[in-house]
Amino acid sequence: MSVLAYLLLAVVTIFNICLFLSRRGGRRDFDREVDGTGHGTSVPFGRERLNSELSARLFDPEDVDFVASETYRGDARQFRRERTALALDWLRAVRGQVNQLIRAHVKAVRGNAGVKPADEIRLGFEFFLFQLNSGFLYFVIWACGPPRAAKLVRYSLELAGQLQKATEDVLPAGRQVAMELLEGNQERKT
Amino acid sequence: MHGELKHEDVEAARRDLADRTLAKIRGDLARLIYLASMRDYNTGEYHHEGLAYMFTESVAGEAIASCHREVFRRLVLCSLKELVEQLELHARTNCSSSAELARVWAKLQPYRVTVPLECSPLAGRFFLSNIKAALAILQSRQLRAHPE
Repeated sequence: MSVLAYLLLAVVTIFNICLFLSRRGGRRDFDREVDGTGHGTSVPFGRERLNSELSARLFDPEDVDFVASETYRGDARQFRRERTALALDWLRAVRGQVNQLIRAHVKAVRGNAGVKPADEIRLGFEFFLFQLNSGFLYFVIWACGPPRAAKLVRYSLELAGQLQKATEDVLPAGRQVAMELLEGNQERKT
Repeated sequence: MHGELKHEDVEAARRDLADRTLAKIRGDLARLIYLASMRDYNTGEYHHEGLAYMFTESVAGEAIASCHREVFRRLVLCSLKELVEQLELHARTNCSSSAELARVWAKLQPYRVTVPLECSPLAGRFFLSNIKAALAILQSRQLRAHPE
């Protein structure tokens, strides 16, 4: 019985940490949008390609291993710290884009009579799953460094892709409205 | 202004720049430095008299900007090992040793001005971090070779 209680406590603690981290990331996204610096989250769509290609390099252990074998311990530690900070910023940018997509979707479906509640619930559940996963990923990157989080990154990106597809499936006509809203947001920021 | 540019004109200017000039420069790092050197620090616009004479000032500017982004993209996505090789090649073609280049670059940080204006802050920071690490590798190789 006590084992079960401890297990439950551990699950609840991990869940709370994930939720806290994911909200913390979200708040930073919001702050950046407000102060207009545009670093990290408000990445215009033309830059998305390079940022997504960058993820492969960010989480690849090759560079970290190379630096560790070629430089002194202090330099290697500094490099690992920089890579971790960059990977966390990359994750915030991905989360920011997904959040924007969902916000735009919510605006698009408001007042739309053709919306199916079952599809919206499925989308909401997938969004929750993404938030949970990305919160956990944030913690793993922060604690273990980007190379060890590579597999989880792949899963997070798959979830983000599913979410994007789900918003298109649920509301094909609303997709256009969502894109227009997103583009409008981007123009206001730049 | 750039919205009115014809894609074919920019593409032709790009090809011209790539074939006549960039192909003769050894290594992407040297190409990046060359392309960034054509940019006005105050306006962020690129100038190349020959290319502007053949096409127009705005077509030439957009073609250079496009080449700059492409070369930068290649360097951002290459491995750190390749970046170190690029630095060594750059040092060799400029008649200085890798150690000397690492020492001067670590102090002056001239690579900071090579980042394209339109690049995302994340890609810019990633590139600068990689260059710093590559310079540290060159310096530690020098120290290992000559411990005194």
